Amino acid sequence: MSNHDNTPLSSAHHEEEDTPAVSSPKAGFLPIETNWFDRLFISVVIWVALSLLWFRFIEPMGLSIWISNAIALALAVLIISKG
Amino acid sequence: MQSNRLGWILLAPTLAILFFFGVLPFIYVVYVSFHQWNPFAADPTMIFNGADNFRKIVFDAEFLNSVGVTVLFVLFAVISELVVGYILAQAFMKEFPGKAIFRTIHTLPLIMAPIIVGSVWKLMMTPSIGIIPHYLNEWFGITVNIGTSPVAAFATIIIMDIWHWTPLVTLTLIAALVSLPPDPFEQAQIDGANKRQIFFHITVPMIAPAVVATVFIRLMDALRTVDEVWMLTGGGPGSATRFVGVHIFKEVFPKTNYGYGSTISVIVLYLTIVACWLLYVTMLAPRSKKD
Repeated sequence: MSNHDNTPLSSAHHEEEDTPAVSSPKAGFLPIETNWFDRLFISVVIWVALSLLWFRFIEPMGLSIWISNAIALALAVLIISKG
Repeated sequence: MQSNRLGWILLAPTLAILFFFGVLPFIYVVYVSFHQWNPFAADPTMIFNGADNFRKIVFDAEFLNSVGVTVLFVLFAVISELVVGYILAQAFMKEFPGKAIFRTIHTLPLIMAPIIVGSVWKLMMTPSIGIIPHYLNEWFGITVNIGTSPVAAFATIIIMDIWHWTPLVTLTLIAALVSLPPDPFEQAQIDGANKRQIFFHITVPMIAPAVVATVFIRLMDALRTVDEVWMLTGGGPGSATRFVGVHIFKEVFPKTNYGYGSTISVIVLYLTIVACWLLYVTMLAPRSKKD
């Protein structure tokens, strides 16, 4: 019982505390603190929503879905870098 | 390094199960959603059709109607379950005669399979033999027929869902309330705060994570409700209770349209994730600090 702190799980715990965080939250133009994965997720959500709205309202007027994809990609770059 | 490897070894079985039973089927459904595929047709070949299924879905009036009906159902059911569940949880925090028996009886609906719940409610709601239409007619002169009245069918499904799932909400909220430290409440009472102020400024913020987790679970469940509704109304009358789950079922099984069914599933998953994420952002996510 005396060497309780030498068990593998407790040492794992200590090591985890010393390890630097893989991704740290940052404050960009988004109203919440996000890491890069959050911003990627937001970008994908926006891309899907934009594509569906494009299919419904814009594509019947003759504009290709690739324009929507380009806009979504530009937004994704902006959100991931400055969000 | 050694402990890192141990961590990964301990996690490996869970990750493997998650990958094979969660991630792989999801990737397969996304793959199928870009195809036209009827495995029971004379030619069961999968035909890649790009985003045509997604083009079709945004103009599918039945699907859009089912999304609207489902959102209404989720709003009514989940909010009611949260309110009733909280009231019951607060009641169970106090001592009263027969509390243990009442708590056991109250939890019983949770152990019933949804398809059984649907069958039992169908028996209770059938006009000629059901106990509920009989007494509603005898006591209040109200005639209820879920086979012909869309409002009655929709309301019955909401009441059935509340009956079935409120105990889950009660149990999670009891767990949250029990774990609250007494000090902030005592200090607030000493400072002269009234019950309403204590509820909104101390209780709600402290149980918010548990509430959000409970709403996540109920939201995800309610969005994919099929069996109870299928047994009770079969999606009718008309399309009054044709929730997205029922819509997918009808698209995939009777029509064997697996490609389009997968597309609907992907969109429903997307809507579920977005709804949960918006809830998380609104209730829990740390606000950005701007200098």
